[in-house]
Amino acid sequence: MTEAAGDRGDLVRVNFDFRRELAEKIEGDLASFCYQCGACVGDCPAATYSDEFNPREIMLKVLYGLGEELLVKDSILWQCTNCYNCHERCPQEVKPVEVIISLKNMLADRGIYPDPVAKIIKTFEETGRTTPLNAAVDRQRKRFGLPPMSPVPMDEIRKLIEPQDSAREAAKE
Amino acid sequence: MKRFAFFPGCLIPARHPAMEFAIRHTLPRLGIEIVDLEGASCCPDPIYFKSKDKLSWLSVAARNLTLAEDLGLDIFTNCSGCTATLSETYHLLQDEALRARVNERLKRIGRQYRGTSRIRHIATLVRNEAGYDAVRESVTRPLEGLRVAIHYGCHLLKPSRIMQVDDPNNPSVLENLVTALGATPVRHRNWYLCCGKACQTDDIPANMMHDLLSTVNDERADILCMICPTCFGQFDHGQMKVAKRFGEDFHTAPIYYFQLLAFAQGVPYDKLGFERQRFKPECLLRFETAAAGSSPSESRTE
Repeated sequence: MTEAAGDRGDLVRVNFDFRRELAEKIEGDLASFCYQCGACVGDCPAATYSDEFNPREIMLKVLYGLGEELLVKDSILWQCTNCYNCHERCPQEVKPVEVIISLKNMLADRGIYPDPVAKIIKTFEETGRTTPLNAAVDRQRKRFGLPPMSPVPMDEIRKLIEPQDSAREAAKE
Repeated sequence: MKRFAFFPGCLIPARHPAMEFAIRHTLPRLGIEIVDLEGASCCPDPIYFKSKDKLSWLSVAARNLTLAEDLGLDIFTNCSGCTATLSETYHLLQDEALRARVNERLKRIGRQYRGTSRIRHIATLVRNEAGYDAVRESVTRPLEGLRVAIHYGCHLLKPSRIMQVDDPNNPSVLENLVTALGATPVRHRNWYLCCGKACQTDDIPANMMHDLLSTVNDERADILCMICPTCFGQFDHGQMKVAKRFGEDFHTAPIYYFQLLAFAQGVPYDKLGFERQRFKPECLLRFETAAAGSSPSESRTE
């Protein structure tokens, strides 16, 4: 809270910087259309099984720009099961799950991931697959008459996932 | 034979080669020719890598789709996660501005996404391109009396506007595929629940799976049938955690649909990799002895 809120501790000031940053993510701006009907909550398995997780409340925090409450280590966002029921139910096509994933992109920009998530991302960035390959995998495959898995052309994958235009610069040479 | 590009993803070829074997065995018997895709990567997964950077995720997914575009074929997946990523990519890249951004990235590797290959999940591929009758006709040992609980999982059906697979509130594709094997599909009360794999806490998925397995158990189902390797992992390995935590051993064997189909088409039980499962579908063995007793020489001609 800024000083302008003074003794009115309940006053919410919308943090537009946070909302602008979120809007730059793909489908991150969709929360703007949320009218807080709660259709996303009824079929949400995480909300059913957790007292803490509530997609409508997450959308409300986004609307208020209360990003600092969501962009923390062990964020509530990681309780989302990615089941897409909220996407299915939302009458406003807010796609709450996509807003949540865009918020996770913001967490990633700040380098805050749960360890299991970081590990899988690292495996993908190093091998182009989320499941590491080894001799045991090929042995199992052979048992079923399947050929070894072919390597992924990592030079291509690395160029694709570089965030900025450094790849384009390199291509000019 | 109708030809389709096969996108096997990561989990099935690396962790569950028996599932891939079953797919390669069953599809040609339904008139579908599998064309392998050279140079495919992870789809990438719609949970982890997508949560890092959606634009990179879309770009890698679009690259995978261009491999099928090069062949002039539609693409089919055997994992609901791959289906989610590739279908969502196809959907999102109908937006011209976003397609331009992704193609800017693809230019780095001399590729261009055109949007000419559609994405099919293997279950709907069979429904639409072969039909339930072809499945029924391919069965050499009908699984009569087998009670098969159905787990749809999430990403086969939803978001329905993107997946365009079935009615997400009352789907029928898996029930019909199970019926075609001569078995009895069972819809349990928690059929709509998620497997919980993506959730990064312990309590939510454990409680959810406990409730789901309880209702499967209430229906006296013999096995729990699914079409996603991630769900499968949850219900196999994950079921042990549930048993430990709640002191309740449901002993519900999960099974990937195409292994069940391969078995019904006559592949011997011990060729289908079931010994690697923690909960084994031993209830199938009774069909093996029955078939051996009746018509051992019966085989299908191609």
